Amino acid sequence: MANLRTCLAFLFLCCSLCDAVYEDQVGKFDWRQQYVGKVLFAHFESHSQASKKLILATDKNIVASLNPRTGDLFWRQVDKAGPEGHIDTLLFHGQVTGNGRLLRSWESSVGALNWEMLLDPGSFLAAVLVGTQDSVKFVAVLKKATVSLHYLSNGHQKWTETLPDSDTVHYQAVYSSGGSQLFVLGVVPHSHLSIITFNIEDGEITSQRSVDAPWLSSIQARCTVVGQGVLICADASTLSLYMLPLSSEEPVGLQQVPLQSLDLDLALGFQPVLLTTQPNPARPPLAQFFLQLGPDHHVLLQLSDGHLSPLRDFQPAFLVSFATTGEKTVAAVLSPKNETVSSKEGVKRSFSEQSNQGSLITILFERKPDLYSADSGRRLLDTTVTIHLDPNGGKPEKLYVHAFLKKDDSVGYRVLVQTEDHTITFLQQPGRIVWTREEALADVVTMEMVDLPLTGTQAELEGEFGKKAAGLAGYGLAAMVLKRLSSQLILLQAWIAHLWKLFYDARKPRSQVKNEVTIETLARDEFNLQKMMVMVTASGKLFGIDSKSGMVLWKHYLRNVQPNAVFKLMVQRTTAHFPHPPQCTLLIKDKETGLAALHVFNPIFGKKSHVTPPTLSRPVLQSLLLPLMDQDYSKVLLLIDDEYKVTAFPSTKNVLQQLQEMASAIYFFLVDASQGKLSGFRLRKDLSTELIWEVVIPPEVQKIVAVKGKRANEHVHSQGRVMGDRSVLYKYLNPNLLAVVTESVDTHQERSFVGVFLIDGVTGRIIHEAVQRKARGPIHLVHSENWVVYEYWNAKSRRNEFSVLELFEGTELYNSTVFSSLDRPHLPQVLQQSYIFPSSISTMEATLTEKGITSRHLLVGLPSGAILSLPKMFLDPRRPEMATEQSREENLIPYAPEMPIRTEWFINYNQSVTRVRGIYTAPSGLESTCLVVAYGLDIFQTRVYPSKQFDVLKDDYDYVLISSVLFGLFFATMISKRLAQVKLLNRAWR
Amino acid sequence: NAVPTGGMEEVAVSTRGGGGTRRMKWALELSLGNTRSRGDRQSSQGDTLYPIGYSDKPVPDTSVQEADRNLVEKRCWDVALGPLKQIPMNLFIMYMSGNTISIFPIMMVCMMAWRPIQALMSLSATFKLLESSSQQWLQGIVYLIGNLLGSALAIYKCQSMGLLPTHSSDWLAFIEPPQRMEIMGGGMVL
Repeated sequence: MANLRTCLAFLFLCCSLCDAVYEDQVGKFDWRQQYVGKVLFAHFESHSQASKKLILATDKNIVASLNPRTGDLFWRQVDKAGPEGHIDTLLFHGQVTGNGRLLRSWESSVGALNWEMLLDPGSFLAAVLVGTQDSVKFVAVLKKATVSLHYLSNGHQKWTETLPDSDTVHYQAVYSSGGSQLFVLGVVPHSHLSIITFNIEDGEITSQRSVDAPWLSSIQARCTVVGQGVLICADASTLSLYMLPLSSEEPVGLQQVPLQSLDLDLALGFQPVLLTTQPNPARPPLAQFFLQLGPDHHVLLQLSDGHLSPLRDFQPAFLVSFATTGEKTVAAVLSPKNETVSSKEGVKRSFSEQSNQGSLITILFERKPDLYSADSGRRLLDTTVTIHLDPNGGKPEKLYVHAFLKKDDSVGYRVLVQTEDHTITFLQQPGRIVWTREEALADVVTMEMVDLPLTGTQAELEGEFGKKAAGLAGYGLAAMVLKRLSSQLILLQAWIAHLWKLFYDARKPRSQVKNEVTIETLARDEFNLQKMMVMVTASGKLFGIDSKSGMVLWKHYLRNVQPNAVFKLMVQRTTAHFPHPPQCTLLIKDKETGLAALHVFNPIFGKKSHVTPPTLSRPVLQSLLLPLMDQDYSKVLLLIDDEYKVTAFPSTKNVLQQLQEMASAIYFFLVDASQGKLSGFRLRKDLSTELIWEVVIPPEVQKIVAVKGKRANEHVHSQGRVMGDRSVLYKYLNPNLLAVVTESVDTHQERSFVGVFLIDGVTGRIIHEAVQRKARGPIHLVHSENWVVYEYWNAKSRRNEFSVLELFEGTELYNSTVFSSLDRPHLPQVLQQSYIFPSSISTMEATLTEKGITSRHLLVGLPSGAILSLPKMFLDPRRPEMATEQSREENLIPYAPEMPIRTEWFINYNQSVTRVRGIYTAPSGLESTCLVVAYGLDIFQTRVYPSKQFDVLKDDYDYVLISSVLFGLFFATMISKRLAQVKLLNRAWR
Repeated sequence: NAVPTGGMEEVAVSTRGGGGTRRMKWALELSLGNTRSRGDRQSSQGDTLYPIGYSDKPVPDTSVQEADRNLVEKRCWDVALGPLKQIPMNLFIMYMSGNTISIFPIMMVCMMAWRPIQALMSLSATFKLLESSSQQWLQGIVYLIGNLLGSALAIYKCQSMGLLPTHSSDWLAFIEPPQRMEIMGGGMVL
């Protein structure tokens, strides 16, 4: 009976907890944006005019198809992250082939997998489509020691051959031109070139040659095949090009063509790059090719009759590309406009200074089917288009051209430009931007949410109490009253305008009402639900995104950010201090040099601040944002360098004085994971530091994986928990507590373990340590209030487990007014419980609300792309094994080892967030509501209500009914009152 | 004297028999009642005449008797003991309503608590009522004690229902978060 009752109670509890969205709420409070990452390969599908597609393969191991009209995703196939899923090459012939260990063919219209082939082990070098008799049938894959040919239709292997002398010869290229032969090119560095010819039909080696080439070290990018099977190599040391016909039987050597004979000159120290195009794998490549002679110098050359002749010299020209449609091929050259500086540095600078205008010159070749002869590729058309790229976006990096035949048989083209900041821009011929995609957002590193500023009128009212008031005070009371009245009037006016707008909009159908968000109209809403998301991406591009609509409101590309840089974003001044603009500081640390730079900017507009950050001459180890403020209300940022000296920013006199006063109360800790050392420091008055504690966790046994303190903006409303007998168990709320997680170095499943240390960051006292034996990482940790939740892999039972630690002071508070780590004689009581979780997890975060009254949920990102909102009450070490009267009073759920995953707990319903890497939570103005942003490959924003919307009327609240009833009753009372009066009067007369 | 009266009687009878609505020529009113009600009385009582000097209202007896004094005393004790008498009834209601917090027990408790409080508020009026009694002070004290007991009972009921903030958990929401003495930060070496 008791069991039944607990079951019922449990069920009831679960029912009351579920808060899935209703169908009509889909997309109302949430949005998702899907990204693909930095483009490595791109192909335009242009077989039929109707179904145009853009096929991409990216560094995030994704094969995707975009709609060239809108830039939206048609389909996206996500492979494993990391090197395992790396796409080596993408070949396109009606089908897409992604390549790694695996050879895959994708159906380009819907993104379905046609077939998949596991390749022989060995490092992948090159792959090429092979065609015979004008049709493409095979794909050839060159590995370190083998070359294999696969059918394109089903992936089956036609033949595989081992390459001779593969230990000395580096085979690097494979080539076929439609004949029955397949050429494999290899090089013995600084010795000779090896050419092996295979028969496509049976894989037999038909010929094997070696040509002396002592200058050659690598084939890739140095050598290319042009025209009717002529190998052309460029050499920087001898400043010449070398030509070699591949198919000639007689042993001819390389024919040297000095660059000077072509009136060309190579930029100093630049390795020339050759670029050619083979429009159809069943045909030989074009006789025209590009030779890059410098970073901004390209030459278009033509090979005819065994003679090289320059067609055109492009200087400056950053990017060149070929595109083919039908029998016509265009060459596109992207060159910056107004280029005047010729030196290398000058080019870079001028490019960044001028408004990043590029002009695109395209040259059209026409090749008639029969014209394989010398003068086949003639320049027919030369058009220049001026395109405007985002001046803030960095240099263009890659250029993909899509050529198509217009109705009048002339060639039109569209261009896809990828810039350094991973933005891809799609342009149409008159230089119009069709769409842009900010692919940098596929790799968000860190983010913050900043309140939007008040509207002009609100700010006006606020301004009265701000700095302006000080000036006004001189005018006396009357002026103040006048000002107050005028600002109230403005407020009233704004309110009426707002009402009018509401009324006006209400008449229109919902679909027509567009809420255009621009940077000018940004204002805080009533409940502060709309915020500015400041996102920092790995490429060094910063974004300001409106949290309501997901629109990118500003972007700022930071140049000279190293790819492995570490970012730390801090909000120094919020929007609460009106006359002063909000201020964010981004600490960028270069991993290699260790030097750091500060980028100070306004998070609402993205503009760089006028405040000059301090120059940091020494490597910075950590930063610390103090709650101290200078007279301009910006929080003080302390930067600790490798000599443990502290730099303050801002470092005004006021700040330094405050720091001197406060110095003895400022502590910081540093964790050196490589040495397993945790050390605590105290600030001295002269801004130097002294070491006060040190904890060494021997790195031979275990390594520190994660250190987490509590979030600075976290509020805890309740200082204790009410027990069943109505006494209080006080929480141990140590703001200086750190949770340190270690993993054993020994990964054997019997000996591996996970350690959790709770260390006081001020005194270095170890409050608690727990060791989970036979457990392994990866470990995900959330540390908040008085609890730590971590998730690990139980190697013994082969399952994921959650463990929760909760700290309590006991039934008495030691000191209820102040908390000092230095004066805490008693250790807290620690309770722990573990649960089985049926899935592995990607990331974990706890919800956060304004005052901390609302109950907490854990937001768990699952590898499936779902985000689970798990009530913290399931992770409660006080859950009893047997339900008693008291535990029921306390609303404790009886302990069950399995943690359920309920689909209605998924806050993102079917909007999977692929490869979720982080979840950011921010409080809103409503206590019940917490804003959530999950980022990974996709970005998903929503709101969660852990205790339901107790402070908001329901969405379907019947205003009409309630107000009509209210008004009806009101009028009924009025009328009946009147009637009663009349009746009384009449009775008095009788 | 008798003859003319008899003749008169005759006349009256004869006239009534003839007209019915015709009024009498004259009448002599000897009752104490006012003249306006004459018509009504005539219609209800017919022609019955009260004797002269008769009044149908009793004349109040203004003299105080010993028995009345006892009665007042008794009445005052009734008032004073009223609250005490209610206590067993209240106890029964308390027992019946149970300790669950729902609308009926809450209403009961409110009534139980409100009545003594109301009585205590109008204590002066009650004292005035008891003024005539000789044991006024004793009765007053008994009345007070009775009401206090009633409210104590209500408080006890509140206590047993858990409505009184007597536990530390009831004051938990008012505990301010402790002030932080040290500022600490840091992390992994970047």
